[in-house]
Amino acid sequence: MTKQLKLAATALGLILAAGAAQAQVTCGANTGTAATGAPILVGGIHGNAAPGDFSASTQAAAAYFACVNANGGINGRPIEYLVENDQWNPELAAQAASKLITDQGVVAMVGNGSFVEMAVNARTYQDAGIMTMASACAVSECFESPSIVSTNQGPLASTIGAAQYMVEAQESKNISCIGLAIPNVGPWSCGAMEGYMASKGLTGSSVYLNPASPDVNSGLLEAVASGADTILVNLPAGLALAFMKAAEEQGMVEGYKWASSTPLYDRSVPAALSDVWDGRMFVNAELTPWDKGGPDAINWLAVLDAYAPDAPRDTFSQSGFVSAKFFVQAMLALDPAKLDDRAAVNAAIKGIVGYESDLLCGPYYVGEADRHMPNHAGTMVVVKGDGFETVRDCYEYDSPYFAPIFENEKALGLN
Amino acid sequence: MRELLRPIAFATAACLGLAVLLGWGKPAAVVGLFLVSGLAVGSLYALGGIGIVLLFRATGVLNLAAGAIGAVAAFVTWQLGDWGMFAPLTWVAGLLTGVLFALAYGRLIAPGLSWREPVIKGVASLGYALILLGLVSFLWNDDPRKLSFPTDAVSLSILGLKVTVTRLIVVLAAIGIVIAITVALNRTRIGLQMRALANNRRIASLVGVPILRVETVAWGVSGLIFGFTGLMFGSLVRLEPAVITFMVIPCTAAAIAGRLVSLPTVLVAGLAMGVIESLLTLADTFKAVRPMAPYAIAIAVLVVMNLNRRLTFAGDD
Amino acid sequence: MARQANTSLVAGLSAAILAAFGLPLVLGGQWTGIFTSTACFAMAAMGAGFMYSRLGMVSLAQVALMGVGGWVTLRLNHAFSLPFETNLILAAVVTSVLGMLLAIPALRMRGLYLALVTLMVAGGLEVVFTAYQFPNGGAGFWGVGTSFAAEMRRPVLAQSDGAYLTYTLLVAMLGLLLIMAHRQTAPGRAWALIRRSEAAAIASGTNVTFYKTWAFGLSGLLAGLGGGLLAGSLGLLDASSFRASESILLFALVIVGGARFWLGAVIAAVLYRVAPGLLNNWGVDADLALIFFGAALLHAVTTAPDGIAGQITGLFRRREAKA
Repeated sequence: MTKQLKLAATALGLILAAGAAQAQVTCGANTGTAATGAPILVGGIHGNAAPGDFSASTQAAAAYFACVNANGGINGRPIEYLVENDQWNPELAAQAASKLITDQGVVAMVGNGSFVEMAVNARTYQDAGIMTMASACAVSECFESPSIVSTNQGPLASTIGAAQYMVEAQESKNISCIGLAIPNVGPWSCGAMEGYMASKGLTGSSVYLNPASPDVNSGLLEAVASGADTILVNLPAGLALAFMKAAEEQGMVEGYKWASSTPLYDRSVPAALSDVWDGRMFVNAELTPWDKGGPDAINWLAVLDAYAPDAPRDTFSQSGFVSAKFFVQAMLALDPAKLDDRAAVNAAIKGIVGYESDLLCGPYYVGEADRHMPNHAGTMVVVKGDGFETVRDCYEYDSPYFAPIFENEKALGLN
Repeated sequence: MRELLRPIAFATAACLGLAVLLGWGKPAAVVGLFLVSGLAVGSLYALGGIGIVLLFRATGVLNLAAGAIGAVAAFVTWQLGDWGMFAPLTWVAGLLTGVLFALAYGRLIAPGLSWREPVIKGVASLGYALILLGLVSFLWNDDPRKLSFPTDAVSLSILGLKVTVTRLIVVLAAIGIVIAITVALNRTRIGLQMRALANNRRIASLVGVPILRVETVAWGVSGLIFGFTGLMFGSLVRLEPAVITFMVIPCTAAAIAGRLVSLPTVLVAGLAMGVIESLLTLADTFKAVRPMAPYAIAIAVLVVMNLNRRLTFAGDD
Repeated sequence: MARQANTSLVAGLSAAILAAFGLPLVLGGQWTGIFTSTACFAMAAMGAGFMYSRLGMVSLAQVALMGVGGWVTLRLNHAFSLPFETNLILAAVVTSVLGMLLAIPALRMRGLYLALVTLMVAGGLEVVFTAYQFPNGGAGFWGVGTSFAAEMRRPVLAQSDGAYLTYTLLVAMLGLLLIMAHRQTAPGRAWALIRRSEAAAIASGTNVTFYKTWAFGLSGLLAGLGGGLLAGSLGLLDASSFRASESILLFALVIVGGARFWLGAVIAAVLYRVAPGLLNNWGVDADLALIFFGAALLHAVTTAPDGIAGQITGLFRRREAKA
């Protein structure tokens, strides 16, 4: 009896899903017929093991590719998306890249999300002539390499964006950035925030927490000792919550202005915060807010509903979706005879200029350059009730760090 | 008592000396803040260390799964709370989880290794730690979570630093547990048997000490301590499985500083480690590597303790 | 008995040479990487294994020492334009000296306490590695830049991944031979005596301090070589590879592999690197893989006191006895 019910429910669900998919989803050529040709091999690497799960980006990319394959593929050829897990282990990351590039012969990497993979493989990608359209990057190597371009902003841009909002809208004069004591994460991003503050004639300082240390209180005291009026939390969500809890205990929430880079823009964060933070914690969102709407935002959710119902629906997921979408757009424009030619695919990706999506605040481009950071405009939200509320829609960041990037954009005819 | 005075004198001298050295020219209130702040983390090290030493004395197992057991306890507590269970019940359930998982290892796996040397017993428990870490990470995804207690909201001011009652409870619990266990070891029958086992297992078994019963009690009590430590780590540090699991290494440092023997010394050493780690924030050179403090102290204690010792005949230690 | 050991050694060596030159031909890119890592960790495992089986001393800092070897190799590579071999040897020497420093407490401690001192060292190194990471061509003493890593030079003879695997396997084999040579000469006899009774060793005029320090130095040397080769294989290293828990895990696997046997170190390294690679390849969830791994570790430690290598050897012995 129960079994029958279940079957019926599943069937109904399938019909509904199919209906929804036909009604809303738009993917690639959008033909509605499945692609049957020889597959085009595309790789992706994410990190998913004990400290955290960065697989949302590859899951979203996989969902989009599945949708494209059901809708004509790339000129009739389906995309075979091969995803590896680096488990936060640099050796596994290198092996995963070898497997995808050398053994399986992928033509490009799309949707990568990891803390370690990009640092280890940046050179591998360059040597192999592979372009990586990453989606969930956190380390400097990801943004300062010729063969990686990421759709998300990473801690540096997000931190500058948060600082800029606090200076322009909340009148912050002295910001203390709380970062991880890992050179290519904390000092890299907080250092650039200090540079931004200096360029405005204001004061910026940084406090670095060793992730091995259980003691966040000392870091808080150090930030207070710096004389800051604003504390900018630039930490992974778990550590950020611990830090904020310490501040709460010390009764320091009201005495300071608070901001954070993207990691706190997570659905489960408002519930894990107590009411004192309501309306006080300003968080930078690297992509547009989940509920903003717009054709791509609606399509993103529809594609996930149809092809990956269990996947998370967060910033990294949006980012993976956008990377996959732009990749498909570039491949549809490429000569079909060259789809298996790594060099041609590489050139086609590097040729991406001015692609747009309502999930991003600015245009997306790749170009031939020694560094890539197309996404440097974001949205500011504030913790409100059980969710977030937008306080400043899409704004461009401005900081000395972006000078070479702006120059690249000028050369490409953007801006 | 005299034996206890020495570590206390050493620890106090070290902490105060460092406070003066690093805090020279800084307002006393700031130094006081770091001092008080370090005590809470220090008592967490001490708590873990106490559980480790108690178990080691009674069973000869240096339990590297202590942190993992604590992590399971903390996550069970969080989960039950998330399901809306009455808060005190979730705490009891969390502590019982600690007891259960410690007993499971103590009764099912540890006996298979009872004839191996202490190092192997210790290293093997890492296998159990990995199992528990894998289990917790598998069951609970990495969404950010927070474990709060009603005592988090109440605080009093010590040396200018607001100290929540939760932090106070950790310090007092560490002291209370040391006193309670010391009294139990000296006054109760099972305590006597435990001391006999710790002194010489072979002779203890010959004179009829019920080893299985004593060991079971030791595993259970240590599980309770690990569970409590895990809950406190989850609340005061972070509710992340890998973080709580590997906190066992600095806790081991506190245990070592008590030579794996003396519970009061473990307590004093643990507190000193926390305070020194916190004070190092004031030193620009050592700021980035201040979590090294427990390890450096443990090594120093071991080396100094053994300075006048010569190894001659082969033995266990 | 001695002859039997020699036959097994000759067989092992021929197999190893065959593997060194044959493996790169049949393996793909991923498995070439996995086996290179395996060979690197096998060197550290050998060090831990011989210290434990010959002297009864436990080092829970072998993987951390690999980190030191890797750090020095990378540091030298980015600071000077010396050839890879020079960097590797210097790194091994530095690591070896650091290992000898560990021997200072070892002269006064034994068993669990000694193991815990080395664990504390591993814990301290973990903190340093996390805070300062590994040199990647940046400026200053710590040499960490934020742009992507500068080039890591590989041996002239082993530029490709396949050739590098051969190179690593050959170095690992030399390491094994080095230990074998020690076992059959003066240090081996001194170690055996020390293990039995230090009083007897002192009475018979053996320089206990020297031979214990020597053992730590040798074990550190092997770890340093392993770390340096790992750095050459990946081009850069990450602190997460050298956590204190990894050092404990490697030692646990040495016990599982069988510390008394040369094959034990190989088995330990295979379990440490190949098994996770296989599970990952089969798409087993990383958390579940950890559970399997922990359970297998517990099972092997409890059921095979001589390790897997001991069981294999026992199997052959029994067969010989029957015949």
